[in-house]
Amino acid sequence: MTRGRAHHLEVNDVSSDHRSAAMPGSGLPARPYWNPYLAGIGLGLVLLAAFVLVGRGLGASGAFSSTVAWLVNMVAPAHAQSNEFLQGYLGDGTTHPLKAWLVFEVLGVMAGALFSGLLAGRARIAVEKGPRVSTAVRLLCAFAGGILMAFGAHLARGCTSGQALTGGALLNVGSWAFMLMVFVGGYAVAWFMRWQWR
Amino acid sequence: MKLPALTLNQKLAAAALTLGALALFSVPHRGPVVTLDARELALIVEKEVDHVTPSELAGWIVQGRSDYRLIDLRAEPDYAAYHIPTAENVTVAALPEFPLLRTEKIVLYSDGGIHAAQAWMLMQAQGYRAVYTVLGGLEGWKDEVLYPALPAQASAVERARFERAVALSRFFGGEPRAEGGAAATAPMELPRLVAPPPSGAASPVAPRKKKKEGC
Amino acid sequence: MAPFYKYGFFGDEMSLVVAFVLGTGFGFFLERAGFGSARKLAAQFYLYDMSVFKVMFTAIVTALLGVTYLAWIGWLDLSQVYLVPTHLVPQIVGGLVLGVGFVVGGYCPGTSVASLATGRVDGLVYAFGIGAGTLVYAEVYPAIKDFVNSNDMGQVTLPEVLRLPWGLVVFAVVVIAVAGFSAATLVERRCGDKA
Repeated sequence: MTRGRAHHLEVNDVSSDHRSAAMPGSGLPARPYWNPYLAGIGLGLVLLAAFVLVGRGLGASGAFSSTVAWLVNMVAPAHAQSNEFLQGYLGDGTTHPLKAWLVFEVLGVMAGALFSGLLAGRARIAVEKGPRVSTAVRLLCAFAGGILMAFGAHLARGCTSGQALTGGALLNVGSWAFMLMVFVGGYAVAWFMRWQWR
Repeated sequence: MKLPALTLNQKLAAAALTLGALALFSVPHRGPVVTLDARELALIVEKEVDHVTPSELAGWIVQGRSDYRLIDLRAEPDYAAYHIPTAENVTVAALPEFPLLRTEKIVLYSDGGIHAAQAWMLMQAQGYRAVYTVLGGLEGWKDEVLYPALPAQASAVERARFERAVALSRFFGGEPRAEGGAAATAPMELPRLVAPPPSGAASPVAPRKKKKEGC
Repeated sequence: MAPFYKYGFFGDEMSLVVAFVLGTGFGFFLERAGFGSARKLAAQFYLYDMSVFKVMFTAIVTALLGVTYLAWIGWLDLSQVYLVPTHLVPQIVGGLVLGVGFVVGGYCPGTSVASLATGRVDGLVYAFGIGAGTLVYAEVYPAIKDFVNSNDMGQVTLPEVLRLPWGLVVFAVVVIAVAGFSAATLVERRCGDKA
């Protein structure tokens, strides 16, 4: 992201309320978000379909791991293969690391989200942030948050999709403990990060 | 009497609570409790389509096939002393929890065949349809593959078959028995465990697939 | 008998197609709920928009009830549905770290993907952050490996650990969820639309 581009970025400010986001200049008013319960039911049915069709749940962090493992393997194969964590995502070499269930699933997530966003007039290049913080700082925080998230997800063997949703629906002990801690961790830090969002 | 109009969310909540209450009586099929179709299983047993002969198995190993999982049901020390190449050690007690796909071909063996047969029944009850036992178990393996014997008055066909058996036996480190000799009464020394067949069969101990099902 | 893939109804190649289709549904509903927006997601932790809680638990309850009923009538073999083994302490620590990452970054891995697909730059940057974090994690993994694999309780469910019937736990979850939703709505009204 160059500084030049930043000027053209739209920022989600106080003026746009969090329930719907209007797309100025296009004439298309953005639709409000769905009733959360209906969206939740939809999500739950997709999850159920995953259980019934494939015997596993949804996920996301695994796709990132596969991609990283594949990239490292391209650049430094010896290192990748000797690293126990990455090796787990490379397998025994018979299948391409990107030919993984989660990678395809995540590609689907992109497609589905884009479709929904276009349908609702919510798809546009923008930076989501609170009114008091600059774009640059926001992006820095996003990057940092991603790093933290990677650690959390790998320690917990999943993220909110894989562990909380999937494991939650299967009454998995670890998943419920994890889910609880996510909320605890989030609320604990929220006050200190409020300058980013409020 | 008119019911007050419920909002969508209230209706959803009511539906959820109703379904939840009904679920109180559920007994989901998970864990060690299984149901058996006695008639179906009896038919399978009678048709004897659930066996694999030692020679057949030997052929698969030589060909380097990887579409089966060979399970040795004996105790760990016995397995360590000798096991059929490509076999994995899973005792009967550990079998129900052992991760096996229902789409894989599973071949069981024990010393004689009793444990294998019992384990076969357990696996069928759990829904595995492609389970087989090695006919005769390890004893059968010794007799047929490791130490084949040529009957006293052998026909030409039998001699030809024996030649192949001899080659197979040597491959697995065994020795054909003397012609016309009865099975040796002294316990035969089992061959030292040979390295996996050179035809490229994957070592059963190495990690088979990459992390598949986690998040 | 379901899961169809585990019973041999289709193979690996097809399961990848299924993965894509399921992902599409996943992404669609995530965006529908507004989870392509970091502001909406973060709002959960400031109590003025409890959608994250509502969507997540509705999804859990829906899938849980579905799984319970399907397994009850014998159509779904629950023992073939993959359960991530529990490693209690690492998962607790992971959850805390993830929660912090959520508020700092504004997304979780799944929602960041939904976000970048709808054009949010911060979602894209966040995704790169995950990649970078994964690289670092891989490097430190040998040192923390023992911790990561500690507390292995195997594949355990709440009913097993609490020694309660499955149905009872399901009912309890539903009741708690519905009560939670009411409480959440009250909190939303109290802490108001301070956006």
